[in-house]
Amino acid sequence: MDSRIWQHPIIDFGERKGREIYFNFNGKPIKAYEGETIAAALYASGVRVFGRSIRFQRPRGWFCAIGKCSSCLMKVDGIPNVRTCITLVKDGMNVEYQDPRPNLPEKTEFECEHVKVETDIAVIGGGPAGLSAILSLNELGVDSLIIDENPWLGGQLIKQTHKFFGSKASYAGIRGIKIAEILLGELRKENVKSLENSSVIACYREGKGFKITAVKGHSTLYEIDAKGLLVATGAMENMLAFPNNDLPGVCGAGGVQTLMNVYGVKPGENALMVGAGNVGLIVAYQLAQAGVNVKMIVEAAPKIGGYLVHAAKVRRMGIPILTRHSIKAAIGKDHVEGAVITKLDENWNPIEGTEFEVEVDLICLAVGLTPSTEILMQIGCEHAYVPELGGHVAIHDKFLKTTLDNVYLAGDVSGIEEASTAMMEGKIAAATAAIDMGVNVEKAENLRKKSLHELELLRSSPFSKRVITGKEKVYSLMEEISCG
Amino acid sequence: MIKEKAEVVIVGGGIVGCSIAYNLAIRGVDVVLFERSYLASGATGRCGGGIRQQWSTEENIRLAMESVKIFEGLEEELDYHIEYYQGGYLVLAHTEDEVKQFKKNVSLQRKLGLNVRFLEADEINDIVPHLDVEAIGAIGATWCPTDGHANPFKTTIAYARAAEKHGAHIYKFTEVKGIKVEKGEIKEVITDKGKTKTKIVVNAAGAYSREIAKMVGVELPNKPYRHEILATEPLKHVLDPMVISFHDNVYFRQTEHGEVVGGWGDPNEPSSYNIESSFHFIVQMSRLLSRYVPKFRHVNIVRQWAGLYDVTPDARPILGPVEEVEGFIQANGFSGHGFMVAPMVAKLIAELIVEGKTSLPIESLNLKRFREGRVIKEASVVG
Ligand SMILES: Cc1cc2nc3c(=O)[nH]c(=O)nc-3n(C[C@H](O)[C@H](O)[C@H](O)COP(=O)(O)OP(=O)(O)OC[C@H]3O[C@@H](n4cnc5c(N)ncnc54)[C@H](O)[C@@H]3O)c2cc1C
Ligand SMILES: Cc1cc2nc3c(=O)[nH]c(=O)nc-3n(C[C@H](O)[C@H](O)[C@H](O)COP(=O)(O)OP(=O)(O)OC[C@H]3O[C@@H](n4cnc5c(N)ncnc54)[C@H](O)[C@@H]3O)c2cc1C
Ligand code: FES
Repeated sequence: MDSRIWQHPIIDFGERKGREIYFNFNGKPIKAYEGETIAAALYASGVRVFGRSIRFQRPRGWFCAIGKCSSCLMKVDGIPNVRTCITLVKDGMNVEYQDPRPNLPEKTEFECEHVKVETDIAVIGGGPAGLSAILSLNELGVDSLIIDENPWLGGQLIKQTHKFFGSKASYAGIRGIKIAEILLGELRKENVKSLENSSVIACYREGKGFKITAVKGHSTLYEIDAKGLLVATGAMENMLAFPNNDLPGVCGAGGVQTLMNVYGVKPGENALMVGAGNVGLIVAYQLAQAGVNVKMIVEAAPKIGGYLVHAAKVRRMGIPILTRHSIKAAIGKDHVEGAVITKLDENWNPIEGTEFEVEVDLICLAVGLTPSTEILMQIGCEHAYVPELGGHVAIHDKFLKTTLDNVYLAGDVSGIEEASTAMMEGKIAAATAAIDMGVNVEKAENLRKKSLHELELLRSSPFSKRVITGKEKVYSLMEEISCG
Repeated sequence: MIKEKAEVVIVGGGIVGCSIAYNLAIRGVDVVLFERSYLASGATGRCGGGIRQQWSTEENIRLAMESVKIFEGLEEELDYHIEYYQGGYLVLAHTEDEVKQFKKNVSLQRKLGLNVRFLEADEINDIVPHLDVEAIGAIGATWCPTDGHANPFKTTIAYARAAEKHGAHIYKFTEVKGIKVEKGEIKEVITDKGKTKTKIVVNAAGAYSREIAKMVGVELPNKPYRHEILATEPLKHVLDPMVISFHDNVYFRQTEHGEVVGGWGDPNEPSSYNIESSFHFIVQMSRLLSRYVPKFRHVNIVRQWAGLYDVTPDARPILGPVEEVEGFIQANGFSGHGFMVAPMVAKLIAELIVEGKTSLPIESLNLKRFREGRVIKEASVVG
């Protein structure tokens, strides 16, 4: 079986894929292409079960595809607990199922490179927020470095094949993948320092500054001393509670988008989309584009949450959207074989007798995101639970300063929003960092003023009401704290 | 609102405070406990969970042996799974001086009835197969198979739940702000959520005990020291005992879930209330762990954290009343080994409060000893 996509209306995967290589999976050779992750290559060849859970030995597939959920852990070249969704496959690599509680690795020889780096501002996360932050820092003459744990910079942009909405300054009308290309092109032109495929695993306060550690491919340890941090780690997709929600084949919509649009692998044959917000609508459309039969979109709310243009596109493709409906259970033994759908009453409770089954091998969850705020928590920024922003967020002001000196944030980590606003926040946070450091202050102030104005315009649509309410909550908490 | 009146108020919801609350409650005492954060948020929830009887002073050996007897029946007594596991303690000797001291310890411990013996270097791998005895320079060890470990969170919760079942009132997120004393007698405890009248206060605030004592004008010699610790990803069970070396200031064990949990004490750590984690620790500890067990080299560390040791000048706890204030009972100064002795200490403190006498003598652990200069230092500690 090979479920790689070669024909696609927007992406030329033929051009994207590297050299054909072979790796061993449980001793059997499997074909892959350079540039694919282990998980993508396995999925393309029909593997759905990646591991088993510790307590009940339940099958585990992949869920997020960007290294955030750890449901894809396998033993790679003798090393257990490798996140196969962000580890690039190599010729001759040995990949095996691991025991849920792995044995002590037999290997004792260990070659680790320890690299020390110094920089003024370390930008953690290379999505739209982090990228525009580092470009602004660079433009303002602040020495900086960007770190991302995925094989490629670009965050969620590199999988968004649709044209963006928003204002001109935020690349409206351009496809997400093109925006990533533009930003990455600038990055390369400017020779910005970057570390890809490197996970920031810890953050320490040292003296007046910070020490962060990042690991690359289990063999390189970066010890990075920075005067300030700009955290742009994005968000993680939400899970929904229903029986069998852990079956392989239940995936985050963004995870599915990654598999399909970054690695060119068809995620399934028949799909159910849960959630009719923008993410659900867009990914449903893109699934259909990739030749997947999207049976329906179910939405618990009485009306569609996303933009009507997206809903109309989906409907034109003949995909029904069922409001006031939700998933009640997933069906299947080792992976998804179907789903039970139920109608909901006004109080969002299932109405008995309205259940019906759909036969699908893929259930996509597009039920919101939660800010990936671990690093900010670890370093000691004060947090608050703000439902309008997606969960716990570090308290910050409108200049994107946190409660800790020289720690800034931008993008989804500061509250779930959009790539367009993430880019503006990246610029504002970068300008604030420059101002605080006293570098190029006048230019930075201009940039900040302009970007704050742009951000305000982006947030002027009625869709931004919720975010604005959330943001105002954190701004006032910040004020309370800074006034003691 | 908090209770207006109580016979006894306990300050601190760590293992010591919660186990005392339980022991008082089952004796019918009307007891209130205040914890300023969540239960086990202090040293207890941050500790290694090791339970060792191999000590160098008689009191410590007896306290620990009696505690182990209680631990052995604790799951049943409290009706809660606390992950108690008697996998033993392997105490490594690296120098001739240590060998001499350890042999002395073993003979005292055996005299007190402990099942313990001295191992020659070539016997060590029979107990822990993966240990690189040569690389770490171990020339002997002592081994007690009835030592072990338990989950400190679960043990604290187990005590707290059982205490509440017997009528104790436990207030979390309630900070003691002051203690009212008149003519040398305690009147009431003042918290940020209200006041409780009482005549007896047990000071079980861990490293913050000296701050509590200050509230009534008592000076404790205790000093706080940060101790760092880490946990790896879960692995199949490979390690029965807690392995400990005073020479390298290091210890590690494997939890029921499978993580290896271990710490290293930095000899240059200054006294402070700092509990931030450091890079220095993670580097030292990973080097040590991979030297001790070369197969740990490829094991991922998933967490690191720090807690405070509450250290007294002789590394032994301070238990019992003080001269200046009547009804002000100390149960602190555990100097890095309070988890293991808590079950017995709690019983003794409850006996002291209820009956006025204890089944094991604790006179020599009274605060007085520092004033009278009767100080015998405990040698077997990770400092
Ligand atoms: C299907 C879909 C459609 C969307 N459509 C639109 C749209 O049309 N218009 C729009 O404006 N927005 C859209 N969005 C939203 C937009 O993608 C996000 O708001 C935006 O990507 C957030 O940017 P970010 O930089 O904050 O985070 P991300 O893009 O998520 O980037 C975060 C990066 O941080 C890295 N990272 C995280 N933790 C670490 C760590 N510890 N160490 C190293 N690196 C780390 C990650 O690898 C990741 O690359 C859409 C989202 C989805 C899912
Ligand atoms: C890294 C580390 C490893 C350790 N390993 C071991 C081991 O393996 N075995 C072992 O036996 N011991 C070990 N210890 C020592 C052990 O943790 C302590 O001796 C023991 O937990 C002390 O318990 P406690 O209840 O006295 O103190 P704590 O657990 O510190 O409890 C005191 C409580 O008082 C509360 N408090 C303080 N001030 C106030 C106030 N004003 N009002 C209300 N509440 C207040 C605190 O919040 C805290 O929860 C270790 C300690 C550390 C730090
Ligand atoms: S971490 Fe790999 S699928 Fe989530």
